[in-house]
Amino acid sequence: MSDPGPVIEIERVSKRFDATQALSEVSLSLLPGEIHSLVGENGAGKSTLIKIMTGLYPADSGEMTLEGVPFAPRSSADAQRQGIAAIYQEPSVFPDLSVAENIFIGHQDQGLVVDWKTMYEEASRILAKLDIEIDPRLPAAGLTVAGQQAVEIAKAISLDVRVLIMDEPTAALSAHEVDRLFRQVRSLKQSGVAVLFITHRLEELFAISDRISVFRDGRHISTRPVAEVTEESLVREMVGRDPSDFFARGEHPEGEALLKVDSLGVSGVFSDVTFDLRRGEVLGFAGLVGSGRTDIALSLFGVHPADSGTIELEGKTLDIRSPREALASGIAYLSEDRRKLGLSVEQSLVANLTLATLDRYTNSFGIIDREQERADAEVLRQRLGIRAPSLSTPVSQLSGGNQQKTMLAKWLNTHPKVLILDEPTRGIDVGAKADVHKFIDELATSGIAIMLISSDLPEVIAMSDRVAVMREGSLIGIYPRREATQERIMTAAVGAR
Amino acid sequence: MTESAAVATTRSTRFLRPERVKEATLLAIIAVSVVVFAFLIDGYLSGRFFNRVTTSVVVVTLLAAGQALVIFSRNIDLSVGSIVGVAAYLTGDFLTATGQGPIPAILVATVVGAVLGSVNGLLVAYGGVPAIIVTLGTLALFRTLLSIYSGGANVLAGDLPTWVLEFNNVTLFTIAGFEVRLVFLIAVVVVAGLQFALARLRWGRRIYAIGSNPSAAAQAGLPTASLVFWSFVGSGALAGLAGFMFLARAGTISATAGAGLELESVAAAVVGGVSILGGSGTMVGAFLGAVFIDTLKLSLVRVPEVSEFWRDAFLGILILAAVILDTLLRNRFNRRWSAEARKAMEATGPTAAGMAHVAGGGGTADA
Amino acid sequence: MRDWAAKHRWESILIIVLAATIVVNVSLSPFYLGFGNFVNLFWLSIEKIIVVIVMTFVIINGEIDLSVASVMGFSAAVMATLYQGGELPFALAILIGIAVGAIAGLLQGLVITRFGLPSLVVTLAGLIGFRGAARVLLEDRSVGDFPEWFESIGQQTLVGPFPVALLLFFVGLALAWVILERSAFGRKVYVIGNSADVARFSGIEVDSVKLRLFVTSGAVAGLAGILFAARVGAVQGTLGETYELDIITMVLLGGVSIFGGSGSMLGVVLALFTVLNIRNGLGLANIDGITQTGVIGLLLIGSVLVPNLAQRYRLRRPRAEAVAHGPP
Repeated sequence: MSDPGPVIEIERVSKRFDATQALSEVSLSLLPGEIHSLVGENGAGKSTLIKIMTGLYPADSGEMTLEGVPFAPRSSADAQRQGIAAIYQEPSVFPDLSVAENIFIGHQDQGLVVDWKTMYEEASRILAKLDIEIDPRLPAAGLTVAGQQAVEIAKAISLDVRVLIMDEPTAALSAHEVDRLFRQVRSLKQSGVAVLFITHRLEELFAISDRISVFRDGRHISTRPVAEVTEESLVREMVGRDPSDFFARGEHPEGEALLKVDSLGVSGVFSDVTFDLRRGEVLGFAGLVGSGRTDIALSLFGVHPADSGTIELEGKTLDIRSPREALASGIAYLSEDRRKLGLSVEQSLVANLTLATLDRYTNSFGIIDREQERADAEVLRQRLGIRAPSLSTPVSQLSGGNQQKTMLAKWLNTHPKVLILDEPTRGIDVGAKADVHKFIDELATSGIAIMLISSDLPEVIAMSDRVAVMREGSLIGIYPRREATQERIMTAAVGAR
Repeated sequence: MTESAAVATTRSTRFLRPERVKEATLLAIIAVSVVVFAFLIDGYLSGRFFNRVTTSVVVVTLLAAGQALVIFSRNIDLSVGSIVGVAAYLTGDFLTATGQGPIPAILVATVVGAVLGSVNGLLVAYGGVPAIIVTLGTLALFRTLLSIYSGGANVLAGDLPTWVLEFNNVTLFTIAGFEVRLVFLIAVVVVAGLQFALARLRWGRRIYAIGSNPSAAAQAGLPTASLVFWSFVGSGALAGLAGFMFLARAGTISATAGAGLELESVAAAVVGGVSILGGSGTMVGAFLGAVFIDTLKLSLVRVPEVSEFWRDAFLGILILAAVILDTLLRNRFNRRWSAEARKAMEATGPTAAGMAHVAGGGGTADA
Repeated sequence: MRDWAAKHRWESILIIVLAATIVVNVSLSPFYLGFGNFVNLFWLSIEKIIVVIVMTFVIINGEIDLSVASVMGFSAAVMATLYQGGELPFALAILIGIAVGAIAGLLQGLVITRFGLPSLVVTLAGLIGFRGAARVLLEDRSVGDFPEWFESIGQQTLVGPFPVALLLFFVGLALAWVILERSAFGRKVYVIGNSADVARFSGIEVDSVKLRLFVTSGAVAGLAGILFAARVGAVQGTLGETYELDIITMVLLGGVSIFGGSGSMLGVVLALFTVLNIRNGLGLANIDGITQTGVIGLLLIGSVLVPNLAQRYRLRRPRAEAVAHGPP
């Protein structure tokens, strides 16, 4: 047999939740040694399919066969035993356990007594194979997201899986970490593993995939070899509408300098950072994760106050020691970590929208004027097009895109002069991404100065008036829009040549 | 490939495990306080004092060990004080009625404790009720059952077989006035056994895994419910054993025996560096925590300047100081580890070829 | 109605339990429905009740204060010692007693916010330490013979037709409800309980909120200790001992999450009423205090366990997922 059969075949699988048909008669097959990308907007049914494949839900109908044998996992552990594992956007590691234990826990640690020596050796061997230099004895708590993902990939290798599902593994990674991840994925592919890859970043699809499948509204729309797919065709299939209005930002008139940052530094993190931010400007910040972009933002926002240099806003020198002071001065920061730093997800939509501006709605006794609060929240909801059953709905029940818009609206309500956006479109679907882009453009046009930190290079280039590039805690250069090409920015960011 | 593996392991042999740091800190704190007390109290560093501490620390040691076991899996057991009471009382009753020897007595106490612990375990692991709610409930419930059972009568020291009250003084061997007593040896063996189990056995590592990240543990297919269940059974059994020790020390047992020990056991574990959030800490640490608290208590009594009424006030302050010190040290180390890990990741820089690929991929998309 | 019950599952359960308790009590004892008994219900537990109300805030905020009972004892001991010394006017001694409670809370709050230590640990040390401090002051003496007006607070003084205790309870409750559910401070308490980092990044003064809660908790515990003294007419070093677990039990029974971020005043009040009624009913039936506590313990476990088991028998259906996949 020159053409090997599929590793896994999914046939007419359906799943329904209450009134929602999450999946209707979806079929998909993965070949050994194939990197198969699955794309679709949030709610297209991708995550439901993954959960069925990894045993978190049973399918309502349809069947799966794994190497010709019927496959119906009862739990994720069961799925793993049978050869299917998944890696998620937020890796789930055991922070207190060592890297080696994280790799082997639950499967290869059979036997009563743990053999530490062999375990460390095995772990080192697998990590070396992946070209990762982490001491397997270190507690996983100290690892970056990329490091944690590497540990999960190492785990998948040690499990000897035949199908590896990667659900938006690149969402929290910088370009160079993505690069390394791709190398790891390709080495998995070489050893015959079928990889099901999910991402919202289109350019990654073309870099890594062999075939691309599109889902929309719980249906399978198409599966094609990557050569037959264009970005336009993909977007059209995903959203069912014309992609012409993406990246809609036009040229801007230049305003006067609003924020002047001079020789700013936090010892050991970044140093000597100098730039101006003009009224109505979008200043992009490119660079690797860990290059100091977020740290500058945290410093401007008063989370980690700078220990050298000055910050001037509208000609006044600021000494910001806390987010509270930053907000009072007109600087707002949309965090890259929506769940941990951005939203109080158990609270209602309205409570989140007014969280940073509560004092505006309180009388002298500290009582909240709930009518005014709801009225303002309603305005914000409509302005950003946040889709939610009601203002009282807990934010945890909104989709990622709507959560992101909620966070944006919350900061907007503080009427900032300077708005720092840290990865504002991470992990949200194409439609919501376009909404956010359009909105950033509107904000800039209205005179707000915007600092846009993003690891999504095409996004930075398309949205920014100028692009600042960070490397290892230093500001390497600021490129005007015309000169900012992907090659030039990447070269500056990694210090190549 | 083997070469780079070797590189990876030798690269940081200087790496100190966090547990060891905590234990060493606490040991140092204990040593310092002993030295300080030696200056304050005449004849402090005697065999008699050593004997007194090693005997009295037994109950709290066993309880702290059980408490730590449960806390490692991100739970808590507030019912141990009541379990001690029930086990001590029932064992006392059993001995009064039958006049049996130590082995059946210990067996009865441990089994009683294990059974009560299994009630907690069932409710937490299989009933899905948070441990703090379950054990606050059983704290009251076990005590109530004991009170009903006892009907207000006490177990009287005079009715017990004579070996019971001498049990505490059984000495295995003596080195220069320092007696190694059986009860202390039992406690040490229990702690050492658990330490080994937690560090070396698959079972123990999984307990830590659950406490470190419960949802990941379930996802990895660990039998989380049964592990949590058995950790409560273990805590109960240890509390039962402690109940026997309590009986041997007190002789007379009322229905309120052991009340308040639950918080003392939590204090010992926490002072011993067991993270209240689960996933980290050691048995040796919990043991040292118990020793620290007990040494303080017994020493403060003997400082002439400190009236008996000052004891607890001091104890509170010293416990707090120990915990603050521990936190400050740990924060320092944590910072160093993450810096190290970050450096290791950064060190593996990007390759130019891979770079070009990503950029090229983007280029294709633009076309 | 059904909507409300679905949204307030816990409160609904408590209402049913409370109703059942009242029905049983009425059938058991002819004295139950008397006005005197009703007043007694509150009066005999007033010092616990006011601490429960503050503890609700503390736990929703994601913290815990195990030291309250010891602070009660400490404050009362300070007051009693000053009174015995005879140098100060008695009213001043009372104020100082309460202030000492506030300071105790402040100290613990400072350690918690400055060092980032878990409040469970800090207040556990406080529990031991402040109890010790109370013993330092009183040793094993009992101080009594307070001025008549003070003890008369304890004798159910009436304001109009209402006893002071009842007024105190309802005024405190209304105030607590408004603060928790209608004020910016209350909103902040919830948000911090959900995630202190999110709160900090939203410009909320997290440490200050926590500090204020611990100071209030200390001050109210101090007040509770003094009310206790007035009711009993004597102060000992052991005053209020082991109350902390009782108090936390009531808050948790009210449906407040031990992990912070959720719970309601209504739930806690219902829990309070339920516990008081059960104790009262059992008391009228001549059942002793320890057994009463056991029944409360059983109720605490049962109120979480029974709905859990009921849910297990229902069709297992991942709700969050259904919403996430809702109409786009």
